[in-house]
Amino acid sequence: MSDFITSIKENNSIVIIETNGYLNNVGGEAVSAVVYEKMAQGQTKFLINMAGTKIVNSIGVSILIEIIEKLQEVNGKIGYYNLAPIVAKTFNIMGLTKYSTVHETEEAAVNEL
Amino acid sequence: MASDFNINDLQLKYLELETLLDITNELNSFDQISVLLQEILVKSCGVLNASSGLILIEDDNSDVLHIGADFNIDISVLKGLIFNKRKGIISEINESRKALNIKIEDDSFLSKTQCKFGLIAPFLDKKNLVGVIILFDKESRQGLSPFHDSDANMLSAIATQASVAYNNIKLIENIKEAKTFNDNVMQSIVTGVFTTNLMGEINHINRAAIAIINLDKENVLGNHYEYVFESNEFITQLITKCELESVTISESQILLECNGKSTTVNISVSPLMNDANEPIGSVVAMEDLSNLDKLKSTFKKYVSKQIVDQLLENDEMLNLGGQEQEATILFSDIRGFTSMSETMAPNEVVETLNDYFNLMIEIIFKYNGTLDKIIGDALMVIYGAPNSTEQDTENSVLTAIEMQEKLIQFNQDRIINLKQPIKIGIGINRGKVISGNIGSKQQMNFTVIGDSVNLASRLCSVAAADEIIVSDAVWKKVKHLKSFKSKKLTPVKVKGKVKPIEIKEIQYNRPEFQYELAYEKIEQFLLLNLPQQYTYHTIEHIRDVVIQSERIAKKEKIEKSVIQDIKLAAWLHDVGYIWEPQRHEARGAEYATAILNEMKFPKSKISLITGMIMATKIPQSPKNHYEKIICDADLDYLGRADYDTNSNNLLQEIELVKKLTPKEWLQIQEKFLKAHIYFTTTSQKLRNQNKNKVLNKIQQQLKNN
Repeated sequence: MSDFITSIKENNSIVIIETNGYLNNVGGEAVSAVVYEKMAQGQTKFLINMAGTKIVNSIGVSILIEIIEKLQEVNGKIGYYNLAPIVAKTFNIMGLTKYSTVHETEEAAVNEL
Repeated sequence: MASDFNINDLQLKYLELETLLDITNELNSFDQISVLLQEILVKSCGVLNASSGLILIEDDNSDVLHIGADFNIDISVLKGLIFNKRKGIISEINESRKALNIKIEDDSFLSKTQCKFGLIAPFLDKKNLVGVIILFDKESRQGLSPFHDSDANMLSAIATQASVAYNNIKLIENIKEAKTFNDNVMQSIVTGVFTTNLMGEINHINRAAIAIINLDKENVLGNHYEYVFESNEFITQLITKCELESVTISESQILLECNGKSTTVNISVSPLMNDANEPIGSVVAMEDLSNLDKLKSTFKKYVSKQIVDQLLENDEMLNLGGQEQEATILFSDIRGFTSMSETMAPNEVVETLNDYFNLMIEIIFKYNGTLDKIIGDALMVIYGAPNSTEQDTENSVLTAIEMQEKLIQFNQDRIINLKQPIKIGIGINRGKVISGNIGSKQQMNFTVIGDSVNLASRLCSVAAADEIIVSDAVWKKVKHLKSFKSKKLTPVKVKGKVKPIEIKEIQYNRPEFQYELAYEKIEQFLLLNLPQQYTYHTIEHIRDVVIQSERIAKKEKIEKSVIQDIKLAAWLHDVGYIWEPQRHEARGAEYATAILNEMKFPKSKISLITGMIMATKIPQSPKNHYEKIICDADLDYLGRADYDTNSNNLLQEIELVKKLTPKEWLQIQEKFLKAHIYFTTTSQKLRNQNKNKVLNKIQQQLKNN
């Protein structure tokens, strides 16, 4: 597990990935590696707990978009919770929120995904 | 569908603008530079896809920059590097004052980051470079790349905004610092100062003014001066006049009556002007003249009443210059004080010197000496200048003897408190000196100078610890007095003299050991140091043993001189509890040996006292009559009416270590009382009957149990 991913767990058949630090090229690759590995095992629903990620760049966002595209091929879904305001704003501007969901808490995310 | 997902340039531009807007909006909300810099750096990295970043910011008053913020970078590789505004890439940006795309490998310092590409922009304060923001390695899905020109424009815009915020925070910090500085200056000056605004309200006041006005600060600030100085019409008139006429007014010796306190002050009221020279209030300064009285008394403390009175009566004495006359000079110096002070805490050094000087200066003034100087741990005292008397030299010798005698008592206290004793050497000479006020107009001191002074100082150096060395000139002046005895010493060669100097050592009797003073000091030492948790081995128990020892010893017809030693042993018999309760008798005997040796007690007496302390160890084992007395005194309560109180105290103390059932405690008491015997006839007669009653009572309680 890279330093960017601090934990991976499952809740109600949803894989929950907790991140910490800069969601850039390196951070994005770390997330995609986990998602693709879990998809290979048949998982299709993913949540990212971004409490520890206070900043994101467009490369990180573009990797998340790549993940969304792959998930759409298997009718999968991805969502995020605990977003810092600047991260939420970036996701919104980059159009990410059109194809994935943002939630307040883990409980809400699990129920809504 | 896939085209919907592409992040297009428009979205990125939108994000850049939003970020710039965010930064602009948030900048004024920061009040700490470190937080501001970190926030700017993180957002810049995010919006420009930099993989990491650094902000270097100025060190005050130098050309060096330090790391003010870092993001996603190992700064340990930069540790120890000096980023100079005039060197490397920073010097380029210092000249260009605009954002630059750089190759990191071109800069010897930044290349240590292992990054490839950089984008650097300046933080400016007007035209001066105050820092730089450096972003490293632009990220893309194809890997790392140089930054674009458009990135440079964006970073320039961010850096410009950040510079404004940075300079604002610095400005606020400087204002706060200046305010604190002004407040501290204002608070520390001894003159009372307050200011009023145009409304006549007091808006600043210092500590000294509060003391004069005798009101709480809260009751002064914000109130009109006419309210605060209600009963001092003269003051309010002065301030009003200053307000109306914008003139400075000064008055002397004004009696202020403030809230029950009368203070005589010199007062000065001046108009307070702004930069445009317009009045904005008044500033009032009040000099508390009672401080002058304090000063006078302090002056008297240190330079002899005689000189002060003469100075006050005769202004001409303040003139620089001097006259030649005969005087006697005494120097004293602590032996080995430098090495002693190396083992002491600084406050202990000061405390020791203050205690020592207080004692010595009292003696000096008793014999009309003038304390000329305190030089480190040395004292210089003059007798016979400016006015001489027939007793000057006699007084100097009497001073020296009393200084040595009093020091023995002073050391008794220090030794009991396990502090090193102070030993001094004293040298006295008499001869021609030039006396007068020597120094500059700003600072002058009444003193004496000349060869005779130097010789007195040299004699002091010759004197060993406890010695008083005088020159032949001194001895000739006092030898007719029967009270002084001297020992002729081998003439000594001193610096500056061709012929060896005839010297004598003044003999004095070491005062006898002050038993009463020692008891008092040991009691204080015990009070201060005995562990608080003990309920039986307390100062009350020790005091009781002292009283009983004396009583029994008198009944047993012991000599008075020995009774003093028995009492000393009683005071010391439980002192070991301070360090080692388990072997307190042995530890107490060690302490007694150490302090009594230091006080030059005869070995035989030390042995007698430590024997008595050791004899109190349970089971008691007295080997002589005195030891029997202290043993009986130690357990005197066994046959007394207050047995229950004492045994309860003892039980509480035992239970600090081990809990006992009531039965167990009764059994312990029974065993102890059955085994115990009083050794002296006095105690047997007085206590045995009651002790047996106590034993019977305990045995009865055991039966009932």
